[in-house]
Amino acid sequence: MRLKRLLLLAPLTVVALLVQSYFWVPTYESQAKANPHRLRMFIESSIGDAKILNPILNADTASSRIVGLVFEGLLDLDDNLQLRGRLATHWEVGEDIYLLVNPAARFDDGSSITPESLLDRLRSELLAGTSAEDPSDPIRAIELLPPEVRRQTVEVPGSEAEGEASQVEVQLTLPPRIRFGLSRVVPDFLDRIRPIIGERYEQTLPRSTWVSAPAQIMSAIDHARLAEMLPVLEHNPTLVFHLRHGVRFHDGHEFDSDDVRFTYQAIMDPRNLSPRTSDFEPVKSVDILDRYTVRVVYKRLFSPAVNAWTMQILPEHLLNDEALGREMERRGLSSAARATFGMRESVFNRAPVGTGPFVFEQWQSDEQIRLRANQDYWEGAPEYSEYYYRVLPDPLTQEVEFRTGAVDIYAPQPHQIARYRDDDAYQRFSSLSTGYTYIGYNNRRALFQDRRVRQALSMAIDVDEIIRYVLYGEAERTTGPFPKNTVWYDPDVEPIPYDPEGARALLAEIGWHPNEQGWLEKDGQLFEFNLITNNGNLVRKAVVTIAQNAWRKIGIKCNTQLFEWAVFLEDFVNPGDFDAVVLGWSMGADPDLYQIWHSSQTGYGQLNFAGYRSPEADELIVAIREEYDAERQRTLTRRLHRVIAADQPYTFLYAPLATRVLDKKIVMVNPDGTYSRIPDVKSGDVFYSFNRWRKLDHVPRF
Amino acid sequence: MAVTAGEANARQAPGEREMEQTTAPHGGTLAGEFWLRLKRDRLTLAALCVLALLVVAALAGKALTEWSTVFDPATVRLMDKFRPPLARPAEQLPVPDRPRFGIYLLGTDDLGRDVFARMLQGSFVSLSIGFVAVAISLLVGVTLGALAGYFGEIRFGFVTVDTLIMRFTDVMLCFPTFFLILTVVALLPPSIYNIMVVIGLTGWMGTARFVRAEFLSLREQDFVAAAEVLGLPRRRIIFVHMVPNAVAPVLVSATISVATAILTESALSFLGFGVQPPFATWGNILADGKAFIFDAPWLFFTPGLAILAVVLSFNLVGEGLREALNPKLRRV
Amino acid sequence: MLIGNVGFGLDSTSGEVMEMLAYVIRNLLQRLVLLFVVSVMAHAVVHIAPGEPSEVDPSNPRLKPEDVTKIRAAFHLDDPLHLQYVYWMRDLLSGELKSFKDSQPVLPKIWDRFLNSLPLFVTATVIVWTLSFPAGIHAALRRGSVYDRSTTFLAYALISIPGFFFSYLVILSVVELFGVPVIGMRTFGMEDAAPLFRAMDRLWHLVIPSIMSALVGVAILSRYVRSQMLEVIGADYVRTARAKGLEEETVVYTHALRNALLPFVTMFGLLLPGLIGGSVIFEQIFAWPGIGRLGYDAILARDFPVILTINLIAAVLTLAGTFLSDILYAAVDPRIRLQ
Repeated sequence: MRLKRLLLLAPLTVVALLVQSYFWVPTYESQAKANPHRLRMFIESSIGDAKILNPILNADTASSRIVGLVFEGLLDLDDNLQLRGRLATHWEVGEDIYLLVNPAARFDDGSSITPESLLDRLRSELLAGTSAEDPSDPIRAIELLPPEVRRQTVEVPGSEAEGEASQVEVQLTLPPRIRFGLSRVVPDFLDRIRPIIGERYEQTLPRSTWVSAPAQIMSAIDHARLAEMLPVLEHNPTLVFHLRHGVRFHDGHEFDSDDVRFTYQAIMDPRNLSPRTSDFEPVKSVDILDRYTVRVVYKRLFSPAVNAWTMQILPEHLLNDEALGREMERRGLSSAARATFGMRESVFNRAPVGTGPFVFEQWQSDEQIRLRANQDYWEGAPEYSEYYYRVLPDPLTQEVEFRTGAVDIYAPQPHQIARYRDDDAYQRFSSLSTGYTYIGYNNRRALFQDRRVRQALSMAIDVDEIIRYVLYGEAERTTGPFPKNTVWYDPDVEPIPYDPEGARALLAEIGWHPNEQGWLEKDGQLFEFNLITNNGNLVRKAVVTIAQNAWRKIGIKCNTQLFEWAVFLEDFVNPGDFDAVVLGWSMGADPDLYQIWHSSQTGYGQLNFAGYRSPEADELIVAIREEYDAERQRTLTRRLHRVIAADQPYTFLYAPLATRVLDKKIVMVNPDGTYSRIPDVKSGDVFYSFNRWRKLDHVPRF
Repeated sequence: MAVTAGEANARQAPGEREMEQTTAPHGGTLAGEFWLRLKRDRLTLAALCVLALLVVAALAGKALTEWSTVFDPATVRLMDKFRPPLARPAEQLPVPDRPRFGIYLLGTDDLGRDVFARMLQGSFVSLSIGFVAVAISLLVGVTLGALAGYFGEIRFGFVTVDTLIMRFTDVMLCFPTFFLILTVVALLPPSIYNIMVVIGLTGWMGTARFVRAEFLSLREQDFVAAAEVLGLPRRRIIFVHMVPNAVAPVLVSATISVATAILTESALSFLGFGVQPPFATWGNILADGKAFIFDAPWLFFTPGLAILAVVLSFNLVGEGLREALNPKLRRV
Repeated sequence: MLIGNVGFGLDSTSGEVMEMLAYVIRNLLQRLVLLFVVSVMAHAVVHIAPGEPSEVDPSNPRLKPEDVTKIRAAFHLDDPLHLQYVYWMRDLLSGELKSFKDSQPVLPKIWDRFLNSLPLFVTATVIVWTLSFPAGIHAALRRGSVYDRSTTFLAYALISIPGFFFSYLVILSVVELFGVPVIGMRTFGMEDAAPLFRAMDRLWHLVIPSIMSALVGVAILSRYVRSQMLEVIGADYVRTARAKGLEEETVVYTHALRNALLPFVTMFGLLLPGLIGGSVIFEQIFAWPGIGRLGYDAILARDFPVILTINLIAAVLTLAGTFLSDILYAAVDPRIRLQ
């Protein structure tokens, strides 16, 4: 019977066809056999896909990984987290200072101050006897500027009834000013010129006569705000970057200072909604001195500023208004779409062009991003000819693919690392990164307002046990707000010891005593709160359960819940509507903690969602921003570390190690052509030497 | 392949209606006959036993882990993590943390919690998700189906009740079910009740159509016509005379729906949208255990096989009931 | 699944073509109304639920709340619901609907993923349809035999096993036994290998995921084939054929099977929605960049335009599928028209 035969043959054929394909697939051992090119490809695996391949727009780790290969910044951080020149060969830090000439003031000898007399006095006192080349004296120039009219928007606090603050534009009629050009930043410059201008110079400044605005606005501007609008001395730190010559974007266009200025403008352009505006908000202007020299002027003292220039540089010729206009034309967009068209909508974000060591080739969403080596790279082409970023959403499948050789590197989970540790078949790299995990208490809640309560909660948790059993040793204890691998961190701060008895005693001191069921009670109130975190992070989930269990043992009732990321942020973290959260920060290498710890940053959606307020910490945070001397800055950060550690607004848990496992056939090529083992990493970035990696066809012995 | 699944069920409906027409009016001997047939089906009987065991385990789980903590599913013993089944706790473990009988019957998980205690606790939660979800879908489905079937001809303006209800059913059928569940569960705050309600509210359409068809045919039956002639109140006709006659096939599909609901819950857990701690369900124990399959295979196999056994039992019982209720097959 | 709701009782005296046309038009109009209601409901559900799209990474300490506000405004998130619906429809129909997540146009995005899901869907369907018929027919012919009972049990076991549990077991065993990659659409690093190697590699990567997603289908369809066969074998015309002394094989495969197959024709229409339904679970396990994962990631990111559009397309396909199935049913079964 034909039909019968067909019915039997069809499934057999299908199954046979499917099964035979197995024989064509390479195993780890044979991966280069039918396909020698495999050795020149590098395959990295990641849990998530990139979102947007534009350095000024991306905000996720996957995108920054790719962007870091395709683009380059003026600077980057080296293996010791020190700044290093990339697109800029070198840079200079300087300062312009503007002094308002006070017509009402008098010199100490009683003679009245005129712009000219002040200028002469300053010149003779400050410039006398020093040559321009003397490095100990930073002052390079002193000159007089004519009066100037300027418009400025100020925030005016609303009336008692309305309460809303509003932005108002006012007109400032500036008096003559004296400009000082300095070759380095001198934050205490006012103290240096104090002997010349006299003690009362600042108090007699007739600021209100220089502001013209409607009467009711004038009345709303108080003294402090006036002083802020018209500081007697305006510090304008400057950075001068000298750019590398002859660097080309992947499309052949040469990189120059226009691109640097364009990148800055693009970040600040409100249409682009760049998440990096706050880094560049203190910038006053970016000026092109010549094709290869750029000067950045800052509005005020802000020492972390230079770190922001690790920001990768965009090609102006592909993204300026003209280029975007051409793109709209080419894509034939409707007028509605044209009205909102901007850099965010450009195809550039899915096919970026930069100056980095790898050239973008292809992006298949949720599957892979493919790059190829930039043969024209200024530091020499990378060893690998192709780079794949492969998306595998599950750690278990990542491991499976890694073991079959279909992935060269991935970031394993702690429990997987424990197995790789005893496995000689792979290389493994671990180092501290700039992040840490914590339990954050809502310091606004009455329950947590006493610092002893927070200390007791910290004492009840055995962090070492978490590190040992949950993280398999893939973390280090941390005690304060700075990344542990930076110099800002104070290694002398002792971690809070695990001491449940001590915690109980400390709580008893404040009046928390156990009731019949063993739960702590004070004035008939149970010690009960909710601990929440986001869904999808195994370790955080474990920490939540462990903390709950640890607190239960000292009589604290803790309820736990996991929320989906978006809900977690929107409903709990942003409005500050939570008791305690388990979260982590991934920080920059600079010491600026303003956004996370300053008391002004506790509003809706701001990052000090724990509501931490300490005048002492506030003062230190601001001082660190204005300190340009690294040594003194370090003293300040360590003091801040101790203040915050003592207050325990968080229970600082651990700084996880960034760990990668890597195919053992991959080695590093030395400049002389020999190869050696890939060196251990210090900064947390295993890819620091990536351009020199190569895969061999056999496992090397060292 | 959920589509073929849905299709197969939908196509079976008309067949069952035919069979129901022949059996519906009788009542007395039906149960006995039904039981006789069921008794001969050993597979179904075995499945029934498993289910009975499950119900006992679920109740015991509720009692022994929550009302009185005989088995403690919550205690974290980090030093005893990943102990295999039947292992004894570490020497240094403080006495109050030790498991009942001094042994981990099914091993411990990644935080050293007793898997047996957690499975016991989870059995109640998993089962109640299945039952509550199906109860919700039955309530909605039977009500809407009965309304459409009995009052279908009443008009509101230019549409009849029947059109209104059945179009709404069609609208619901247009949504891709699992995707809809996933979306809603992801958007709502995570809560076990939301999951029950969402699974329930997305699964009533089959029942509604089915009950409607049943009612349409029952209305034509003599005994209903007789009841109407006797002037019995409508409510009485519907609930006393008609619903019981439609109940048997509904029961079959309900049994199978419980199985589907338990599977759906485990799939949601796998995608990270399942029941949140502190509730343990078999689904989330399985989903969590997946990550540790190399380190602690029992964390994966225990809940996986338990789900398989229970869902299989529900399906087999459903099938057994269907066969026992189907007079056509008896003839062959 | 909409069969039976639409009246087939047409006037047999007028031309059949006209009847058919009128029926088709009425049916299509009804479906359009349904589609509108579905889209409004989906839109309302998604927007009323708590949780906002978040493309901002809050562990990045440098993000200001003003930026979040700007992003919200750009996506019309603060407009009234009906306006948002209008914006959505307008952008969708003009092809300019953009994803919240990456500002890319939604339709090409879905199309790309659709092309990825397609081979998986086709292979799985081929497996289901080729395997189910012999298995089901065989079981029906040997009703009550060991084979019948064990396949019945197996079918129920396949329906009952959690898909991801079984898939992981299979993946791990295959990798452990054979040491070949099985995840994803292909082995990476094969771009420069010979075309035959690449093709076979792609085929291999289809094997496990398509078998896994076909299992439930095979179980259900083979059971259904079995019951259809049983029904037909008991029918009078089959007995007549036997009584005529025809060979058993001829009776079964010519007379019985032909008629038993009839209802399956209509199922082709109902395959349509499966095209987009894909499988979130299997695509997630096998890192398959298809529609299911697109939808899942969109849900995670609250990417409303993508969620809504996938939903809408699924609804369109469901409606088109049932429509096709109705038409096929009418075409295949002459009794329906005579009614």
